[in-house]
Amino acid sequence: MSGLQTIINKCQGMEIDRRKVVGIQTTRNEVARTSETPTFNPWRINLTMPASLRYNEARALMEQLDVLDRNTPQVVTFGDASCLSWIFRYQGSLAVSQLNQITVSSFIGNQLVLTNLPAINANRVMFEQNDLIQIGNYTFPFTSTTKVTRGTGATVTVTTHRPKIITGAVNTANITVGNACQFYMFCPNMPTYKLVVGGADYSAGGTLVGNALIEFSGDFSLYEWVATA
Amino acid sequence: MSQNIPQVQNTGAIKSAEFVKLTIFNEFSNSANVTTHTFSSAYRNETIDGAEYLALGGLLSVGSQNRDLRVTAGDTNISLSGVSGNNIQIVLDTKIRGSEVEVWRGFYDDTDQLDDYYLRFTGVITNYTIQEERVDNNDNFIVTVSASSYKTVLSNRIAGRKTNEESWKVFDPLDTSMDNVYSIAGVQFDFGKEVTASSSGGNNGGGGRRDRDRGNEQQR
Repeated sequence: MSGLQTIINKCQGMEIDRRKVVGIQTTRNEVARTSETPTFNPWRINLTMPASLRYNEARALMEQLDVLDRNTPQVVTFGDASCLSWIFRYQGSLAVSQLNQITVSSFIGNQLVLTNLPAINANRVMFEQNDLIQIGNYTFPFTSTTKVTRGTGATVTVTTHRPKIITGAVNTANITVGNACQFYMFCPNMPTYKLVVGGADYSAGGTLVGNALIEFSGDFSLYEWVATA
Repeated sequence: MSQNIPQVQNTGAIKSAEFVKLTIFNEFSNSANVTTHTFSSAYRNETIDGAEYLALGGLLSVGSQNRDLRVTAGDTNISLSGVSGNNIQIVLDTKIRGSEVEVWRGFYDDTDQLDDYYLRFTGVITNYTIQEERVDNNDNFIVTVSASSYKTVLSNRIAGRKTNEESWKVFDPLDTSMDNVYSIAGVQFDFGKEVTASSSGGNNGGGGRRDRDRGNEQQR
């Protein structure tokens, strides 16, 4: 655990922004018209940190953040800490072994076709809305925008929240779902930190050790690094 | 010529992306020696008219384009990212001015697949700028190329030959048509006047117009 992963694990608030680039105009007779450019639609996550990190315990973290700065991406996950794993928990009904046998048949636009499906009841739910799906080792998760049941065919089609932004071949790739998915993020606004009064540490045999609390200059606005997708 | 675009008809929502093709002519005398750069605001590489438009994320913006019923001169600007990529190299290290530029707009369907595309602008690069924006620790570069439509280019074009000996002999060294231009340059010459034996040079020239006037007076 290091750098941005620590920030995710210790944050006290999280805001997810997946809004697309859209132009909206309202005509004189109040008819709304929209235009959209299908983009990479990167994940944007704002993390609010508490001002309770003790300086002597967070020096390694400070160094890791300074090394990352505002231009270095890092792989993070929300399944790392048990206190976070519920956020993107898989909502479908398949067991891990059944998920592991599924492979990608094709991925065109936002239509992800999966094959090698398990032999289960046609009504069983494979993906609920908002379930994360990762293709192979590409750390660019997609969400399922609809509820997908097994059906009776050899394949199922998942409509994803963004088009196939992965440039590599994905056919026959396995999938990862839920909180096991990974994100490739960087922090373009990397906040600075301030040492404020507090954080007294008596751990050294009851002797007061000089210390401080860490206060960040703002939220951590993580942005998905899709340049290498 | 007007064109029907079904993707924008009877709908309140459209999905589109811009595609820019830059054709750089490497040699003045060989129009076949070209380097082509294609980039787009799309999320993936798309093929239009046989050219693959790269989705490298280098395209920042495309300026407005005039659409008039009659042919009018219109300019536009295309901004490219100067961070990473090779856009600064393109404008500094190639014959960018005079390059041909095409701007296409592609329309996407509900499954984010390219449905159709239309040519919006064809012109010639007339200028470029590289802008650095440095504020505190933020340092960014933007490359902007200015493109003029062909009408502007043709309006500004200087063509033809000058009526002097040197210019005339560029194409045919044996052509002596303009050899005497220097000797009569700046001389008042009365075209049409009858040549008299005493007249030498052009000072006394012809006087046809006066003769005609005289003839008219006699008829009256």
